[in-house]
Amino acid sequence: MREKATTLYIGPQHPGITGNMMVRLKIEGDTIVKATTEVGYLHRAFEKLQEKRNWLQSFTLMCRFCVPETDPMEELYARAVETIEGREVPERAKYIRVMVLELARLASFMLWYGGQNGSLGLYTMGQWSVGDRNYILDLFEELTGGRVYHMYIWPGGVRRDLPKGFEQKVLKTMDYLEKRLDDYDDLMFDNAIFKKRTKGVGIVDKETAIEHGVVGPVLRGCGIRSDIRIDDPYEVYDKLDFIVPTQEGADIWARALVRRQEARQSIRIIRQVIDMMPGGPVYNKIPNPQKWTLPKGDAYVRVESVRGEVGLYAASDGGLNPRRIHVRGAAYVHAITLLEDVLVGENIADVSAIMNSLGTCPPEIER
Amino acid sequence: MKEIKADLISKIKASFDNVTEKDYDGNRLDFHVETRIIPQILTYLKVNLGYIHLSHISCVDWLEDGEFEIVYIVWSPEDKLKVFIKTRIDRETGVLPNIDMIWRQANTYERELKEMFGIEVDGLVAADEFLLEDWEGLPPMRRDFDTEAYADETFWHRPGREDAMDVREAIIERSREEIPDFAKKYSR
Amino acid sequence: MSFFDLKGTLKPLTALKQFGKKPHTISYPKESIEAAERYRGFHYNDLEECIGCGNCSTICQNKAIDMIKIEGIEGDKGDSGLRPRVDNGRCCWCALCVEVCPTGSLSLTRDYLYVSDDPDTFLFVPGVDNPEGKDNLSFTTSTEQSLNVFNRVPMPELEGMERVKSFAEVVLGYNEEMAREEASRCISCGLCTEVCPDHMHIPEYINAIATGNDEDAVRIIYDNNPLPEMCGKVCTRRCEDVCAIAVRGEAVAIRWLKRYATETAMTSDITKEIVNPEIKEPNGYKVSIVGAGPSGLTAGYYLALRGYDVTIYEANAKAGGMTMYGIPKYRFPIDSLDKQIEYIEKIGVKIKYNTKVGKDISFEKLYKESDAVFMGVGFPQPWTLGIDGEDAKGSMQAVNFLHMVNSGEKVDIGKKVAVIGGGNVAIDAARVSARLGAEVTILYRRRVQDMPADWEEIEGAEQEGIDIVPQTIPVKIHTDDKGKVKAIEYLMAEMVPDEKGGRPKPVAIEGSNKIMEVDSVMGAIGQQGDYSFLEGEYAEKIQVERGRFVVNENQQTTDPKVYAGGDAVNRTADAISAIADGFRACKAIDATLAGKKS
Repeated sequence: MREKATTLYIGPQHPGITGNMMVRLKIEGDTIVKATTEVGYLHRAFEKLQEKRNWLQSFTLMCRFCVPETDPMEELYARAVETIEGREVPERAKYIRVMVLELARLASFMLWYGGQNGSLGLYTMGQWSVGDRNYILDLFEELTGGRVYHMYIWPGGVRRDLPKGFEQKVLKTMDYLEKRLDDYDDLMFDNAIFKKRTKGVGIVDKETAIEHGVVGPVLRGCGIRSDIRIDDPYEVYDKLDFIVPTQEGADIWARALVRRQEARQSIRIIRQVIDMMPGGPVYNKIPNPQKWTLPKGDAYVRVESVRGEVGLYAASDGGLNPRRIHVRGAAYVHAITLLEDVLVGENIADVSAIMNSLGTCPPEIER
Repeated sequence: MKEIKADLISKIKASFDNVTEKDYDGNRLDFHVETRIIPQILTYLKVNLGYIHLSHISCVDWLEDGEFEIVYIVWSPEDKLKVFIKTRIDRETGVLPNIDMIWRQANTYERELKEMFGIEVDGLVAADEFLLEDWEGLPPMRRDFDTEAYADETFWHRPGREDAMDVREAIIERSREEIPDFAKKYSR
Repeated sequence: MSFFDLKGTLKPLTALKQFGKKPHTISYPKESIEAAERYRGFHYNDLEECIGCGNCSTICQNKAIDMIKIEGIEGDKGDSGLRPRVDNGRCCWCALCVEVCPTGSLSLTRDYLYVSDDPDTFLFVPGVDNPEGKDNLSFTTSTEQSLNVFNRVPMPELEGMERVKSFAEVVLGYNEEMAREEASRCISCGLCTEVCPDHMHIPEYINAIATGNDEDAVRIIYDNNPLPEMCGKVCTRRCEDVCAIAVRGEAVAIRWLKRYATETAMTSDITKEIVNPEIKEPNGYKVSIVGAGPSGLTAGYYLALRGYDVTIYEANAKAGGMTMYGIPKYRFPIDSLDKQIEYIEKIGVKIKYNTKVGKDISFEKLYKESDAVFMGVGFPQPWTLGIDGEDAKGSMQAVNFLHMVNSGEKVDIGKKVAVIGGGNVAIDAARVSARLGAEVTILYRRRVQDMPADWEEIEGAEQEGIDIVPQTIPVKIHTDDKGKVKAIEYLMAEMVPDEKGGRPKPVAIEGSNKIMEVDSVMGAIGQQGDYSFLEGEYAEKIQVERGRFVVNENQQTTDPKVYAGGDAVNRTADAISAIADGFRACKAIDATLAGKKS
């Protein structure tokens, strides 16, 4: 007997741990037959505001585009400006940037551990990983003066050099986290519930992935080896040795395995970077910000974030303010058209898990 | 990289008219094309040349020229090359062809272009509202939309800050400097 | 996968081993966590160091910082008297305000807790509301980290020993690129305009230069200064002393930027075309001006623009006053001055050269014929040294020496010259003598750091091989049997602190007499006025006190129809003050006469 369709709203209050957005579901029984995303709860018009601010002031807004992972946004802005202006970045600053970016990835993975498990009702994991994430935030606080919004990577380099003894602290934290990742495995990947709830759920196959412009762990989870850090290397990634893991499963489980391996790769990269870091200045000073203009031109730069390729298109008209700043969020392509397609045929209990697995980040969608 | 770019330029120019290219350092190449051939050129790039990834679609409002510049950025994992396809349309009458049958996510971009810039996209099927709700008036990402005036109308200022002074004006007043009007645009 | 996953069921239970472990959390408020050394918490402002430039307020992209008046803080030269107040409801703690603070007075602290029972308290005056913040600073900015550009674009100059070979201009001037770069260092606070006697619109014209609008810069400059090229070369530039950037770095080169802008207008015709001033219809009033120095030219120029019939009477063959005859040509070339005089004449100002008031034309005639008279007569008379042998052949006054050289006369100064004094005139005379091939020594009674001359001039003199002997008091000029200078005798002095708190005084050391053989001696210890042209009733009506005319705030003398300005009025003895006097007098004359008509 065919059941009567009903409409169910998930969100907009944080469905899972993603941020404010809503998915309107048409369900028959507990099976989804149609999904429509509704966004607009977090639109802060940053890109418009940046057109009204000068090139330095705009930098402070970048970190707010995606709260869990702020540094890739700062990196994008800094690199876009440097590309348009042709500004050199000191070698040491490049290494520091990579270190910060990988720490940010690691912190973001920790949050994902919590979110992915929390969406399946496995709350212990979240307590652990979010607690451990705080040790990374402590490092950020010491390095940048802020825990979440760092405003550290800026045009020309980074704002301040590493504090004394910072490298050792990072290495110590890495040793600790590496051990903890093994504990997480016991709780998560060796957990019967997690396996059962994720295998075969939320399938994104290769064809769908290419058709939708999917990036990052979601793409690698369906067997395509693609990573901006390797394909279009920036800063000093071409000098580093790391692996881009892939999985064939194309489901939540496969994507979780990709992320599990990537978190370990981040630790590996951080250790290398600290080992290879040269001395020297960290900042190629910009002119007086009040009168700082960029030549006319545009640039599109990309970063591999935890969610995948995040890009930024910046255009300058030669004036004091950006003509246009436009962020391409990974979530922008994952959490609207792709999510709507993937959810069809799934069970309502899995919606949050799928959203998390696709790297949904509403602040990045709406900007 | 040089050969890849030269090869691409010759292939594109052989297949399409009125295309001008602009080369950049590194792995970037721009093509300026007519608006009507956008779907064809993107399909050609995706299907025939391996530019399978649509990285971004952006729009810049060149208010003073009366035009929008639409930028499509595609990427080939084989060539490791970013190709920018740029086209300009009239701010008031321009219509953009739909490309969401080539890449599904273009649908979201086009919704945003329509809502934020007021650009008509021919053949787009999507819900009317995207980020905004019950929005009337000028699309907010247009250059002539005044954010400050909008904020003043929509929100209120917390009282207690009325005693703020301008440093330059305070000094002008104290020293009785007489500053001509035409010079004021250069004040801070 | 079997239905019952034994490993998958047991493995998660290993979480139990975490039980005995120390938790992440701490028990607040028994324990609390110290914020990191760089933590970006509440602001702190050192109210003494802060100069109220408002750069923090400008950079704040949240409009969270207001500049406000605070009780007990009065503005002074180089301090707007305003201080920042932060709206913590808007602040995002990006600390850009700290990065751009030119003085380094603004920092962030480690404090981040603020509790109030009023939900509307967000306003916070750093330094006033948290004086204890001083001991808790975290995010600060050193001069290297600061986003201010503290180093000036160096001015290209002729090399020291190359200079003395000729009277070629020493300073070569900025090119366009240098000027844009230098101009872009300015933070547009405007503190400089207050100390400029003429209140020129400095931030505005610098910004015009920074944005590539040189013509606008020229227009802004000519708004209240008709001799800007002269100021661009030789101004005493007190503006640069109070430059916000100068607190921790090198002041913006305001003078050189003005010079750059005015030099882009290469001839008087181009100047006229760019400035394109509005010249009012003749209004029938006649104004006479005594002396074509900076104050007279300024009054004349602006009165002519306002439709007055202006005639300037100048005793010398050329206009410019001390800027023509007192400043050496390697600092201020004659073409530069001519260009500006030509421009002023093109506007309609009549200048009668070689016409000395009191000799060629009487003051009374001027007074009766005109609706107003302006006197910009300067200080033409040098002070004498008052020592034996001063009237010997070869002993002269530096001002007279400069006058003669600048008029193109030949002066025989011999091989060795002693210049007495430490002001700009002394240095000028010394450097000119060096260019005439002499070996020059400057004798000054105090220390080098006490010399009133510009430090750049002193440095320039040293580079050109001029010997400065400080703490010397001349006592006698020795002559040979032909009555010609042979040597100068002087005493060494020691600096004795002033009991009243003034600057230390030089006191001669007895028996320290030294004799230096020289061919010429030049006195440069100051000048005074010569008011002999005022005869009869005018000498009585127009009051002079301590060598200067008595004027009110409108430059009006004790005779309401007569105005005065320049060195004969003010104590600052520089061209820009004279220009300011001229401009003020012009406005006052215009207000009075235009008021009469209506």
